[in-house]
Amino acid sequence: MLRFLVRRVLGAAVILVLISFVTYLLFFALPSDPALLSCGKNCNPQNLALIHKNLGLDKPIPVQWWNYVVGIFAGRHLPLGNCPAPCFGLSFNNDTSVWSLLKDRYPTTLSLAIGGSVTFLVIGVGLGLISAWKQGSVFDRVASSISLLGQSVQIYFIGPLAIYLFSVQLGWLDRGHDPDWTSDPVGSLTGLVLPCLIMSVIFWSNYSRQTRSLMVEQLSEEHVRTARAKGMGSKYVFFRYALRGAMGPIVTIFGIDLGSVFGGAIITEATFGLHGLGNLAVSAVLQSDLPLEMGVMLVGATSIVFFNILIDACYAFIDPRIRLA
Amino acid sequence: MNKRRAYYAAAMLSAGALALSACSSGNSDGGGGSGKSTSSGGGANGATASVQSVTLGTAADSTGPAPAVAGAKSGGTVHDLEASGVNHLDPAQAYVNQEQVIGQLFSRQLTNYKIDAKTGKTVLVGDLATDTGTSSDGGKTWTYHLKDGLKWQDGTPITSDQVKYGIERLFSSYETAGPQYLQQWLTGSSSFRKVYPGPQGGKSLPDSVIATPDDKTVVFHFKAPHSDAPYAMALSGSGPILKAKDTGPKYDTAPFSDGPYQIASYQAGKALELVRNKNWDPKTDPIRNAYPDKWDIQLGVAQPGLTQRLEAQSGEDKDSLALVAPADPTQTSVIAGDPKYKSRLVSNYQPFVDVFNINMTRVKDVKVRQAIMYAFPMQQVQTALGGPPQGDLGTSLIGPTVQGFKSYDPYGKLTKPQGDPAKAKELLKEAGVTHLKLTYAFSNQPRWVTVATTLKNAFAKAGIDLQTKAIDSTAYYTLIGKVNNPYDLYRTGWGADWPNASTVIPPTQDGRLVADNDPNYSHLNDPKVNSEIDRINAIADPTQASSEWEKLAEYIMKNDVPEIPYEYDKYYNVYGDGLGGVSYNTPLGTLSPNTVFVK
Repeated sequence: MLRFLVRRVLGAAVILVLISFVTYLLFFALPSDPALLSCGKNCNPQNLALIHKNLGLDKPIPVQWWNYVVGIFAGRHLPLGNCPAPCFGLSFNNDTSVWSLLKDRYPTTLSLAIGGSVTFLVIGVGLGLISAWKQGSVFDRVASSISLLGQSVQIYFIGPLAIYLFSVQLGWLDRGHDPDWTSDPVGSLTGLVLPCLIMSVIFWSNYSRQTRSLMVEQLSEEHVRTARAKGMGSKYVFFRYALRGAMGPIVTIFGIDLGSVFGGAIITEATFGLHGLGNLAVSAVLQSDLPLEMGVMLVGATSIVFFNILIDACYAFIDPRIRLA
Repeated sequence: MNKRRAYYAAAMLSAGALALSACSSGNSDGGGGSGKSTSSGGGANGATASVQSVTLGTAADSTGPAPAVAGAKSGGTVHDLEASGVNHLDPAQAYVNQEQVIGQLFSRQLTNYKIDAKTGKTVLVGDLATDTGTSSDGGKTWTYHLKDGLKWQDGTPITSDQVKYGIERLFSSYETAGPQYLQQWLTGSSSFRKVYPGPQGGKSLPDSVIATPDDKTVVFHFKAPHSDAPYAMALSGSGPILKAKDTGPKYDTAPFSDGPYQIASYQAGKALELVRNKNWDPKTDPIRNAYPDKWDIQLGVAQPGLTQRLEAQSGEDKDSLALVAPADPTQTSVIAGDPKYKSRLVSNYQPFVDVFNINMTRVKDVKVRQAIMYAFPMQQVQTALGGPPQGDLGTSLIGPTVQGFKSYDPYGKLTKPQGDPAKAKELLKEAGVTHLKLTYAFSNQPRWVTVATTLKNAFAKAGIDLQTKAIDSTAYYTLIGKVNNPYDLYRTGWGADWPNASTVIPPTQDGRLVADNDPNYSHLNDPKVNSEIDRINAIADPTQASSEWEKLAEYIMKNDVPEIPYEYDKYYNVYGDGLGGVSYNTPLGTLSPNTVFVK
């Protein structure tokens, strides 16, 4: 287990270093000058040169990148102020510490990702199991159709419709707001119901179809037929034998989907006006805010890598035949 | 005012043309201020709202407290919904109208705009100062006296040396976003930091530049006459800074208050909470009624949700407004089409004029530029951008919020707003151009993609082959800002920093300034225009100067045609009817927070 963790963490570190470097290069590959967004009406050469210096853009790109990486671990003294470790720089646009912005926004994205995942796993796997249990029934056919439909719609399409219907017209659900779990846990929960439900649609549609397919396949396996032949009850065989066999691939798919979950959270934030990493990423890109882009990218990538390692570790518990090495 | 970021902040998607009636601002309690727009019967053609000139107030006008708003009461919380974050809280860094208007709640300047909540009448008065200033030495020296009883949020008295320090601080290397008028006027140089690098090294500006003969008096000695000084003193950075509380660049996220409110909490891009500053004395303040106990400013509120919340006004949204964010274009027809919104609708001009620049470095023949002007389909473009609620058709370089505004239309654009392809063809023939091919550069945002198609079709009717070139929105100004850019036509906008064309014509039309990223995006370099700019700048009487600027603007349009002005931007949005005293700040193009109360 320890060797597994060390190997994966080292691999993750290499991935993150590469991501940070590529992001830096991509940013400077664009012809945009972030100083132009900071100079107001005063974009004369003197002011632009000063802004370049203040933003640290006056140094060669590899030096900028190296200073950035070192700053994450050792902190930096920037022209616009001291930046203690972990220093992800200061936002080009509002001089705020990127680390403080990330800490402020991460809970929203994480809440949405976890809430959305729980929602789509419960609904998707649940529907898939019932469909597999009742193969060929009306429920099975309706569930399959709904799943197909669900996979065809997008968050930014159904989100505004759902807000209009459930929040504006019917007033049943909160239109979505940022969670604050310490001071208002109930309000945080109600504020996430609609965003999580909408975000989960495209995912549970997929999981429903995948689960049904895997379960049907498992139910026709020899060990399942043997269990039935031995006189075991249908429910026991369904959950104890077939489901266990199907869980491994479902967890694998979930691991692969983690990146999409964070991507979905970003689109959901934009749709519902939540202040998470996605919202931050959009404003960073629109305002050519390199430190913010880098911060969001690294935190997002770290999260995905971390949860992937966690899921890999879960295999051992789900399927005892798998040994981590 | 920075039009660039205003564009990023405002989502102006097309929503179809709206009836003229939508341009009016009715308001049962007199709110909306100058939003009491009046139709000139011109349909979507030309300016349809009347704007009162901003006048200079007297010492009596500058005396606090602010006149009471009828029916107003103190208390409650006002919720301000803003589509974007506030990039700067440091008054010295504030330039965008959002930064300036929110800053009015916690910072005061030497002068400021006093707005009558009922009539919208706007007068420039002394804010911290007893009046708008006294000039001598032919307009080169301006003297201001501070009022009695002025205090910071910790009770420290406000003195003249703090005002001087506040101005000195504008020279600091980290103060790069705010206006630079005072720095340039005081040093007579655009490279003002070479003359004085700021107060960080312990150096102060000599008395020959800014003198503080006593605790209450500040004397500015400019290198040249500046009749606009009273207006420049209303910009956010023209106020005091308490040296002991100056945290340098970090002041941008936690400024110290001398206004009616102080910052209770701030989460960049997310929320700003303001509570009462107990040391603010209303008797010293002629412009801020400060009725609410608290301002809850919600930042980064997504559209169209922001507008829908104001429309639905459920719960706390009943006490909500959007100081800066205009209605989402998808919602303007909803608002215009339902009379229930009329009593809480504000529709008024902003200081921005939108133009299409013709690159004179590439399109040298004036007849060709006139042909482009005739072919330009301004009404279709207006429709594509959201129709009259987003802005009225305009043909002047100087917008209707500016003193002495004069509408002129030398090319009959308001008569034929859909374009005159026949006239364009005629001019091209006269110019000997048989197949004109132009490259139009635009930001790759949806609304500008629509406009590009509109232009291509309209120009084709005039025999002009328009090649469209989409540019990533973050790189747009970088690329069109280059003097040797490869484009013939591109869109920009400009807003007056105060209601005088001295902040419009010189920066955008002076050929001696042409350089990369200079706002003379058309690269106009007409010797007559350049000399006229110098002559008018030297006129001491602002009213006479305004008239001369208008004449020069008209001359430019008749003789040079560097730009195609097409729209005067408007603020158009509703507010919750739990609020009263909602007035409009014309110089900033935003709602004013100063007279608002919770019913």
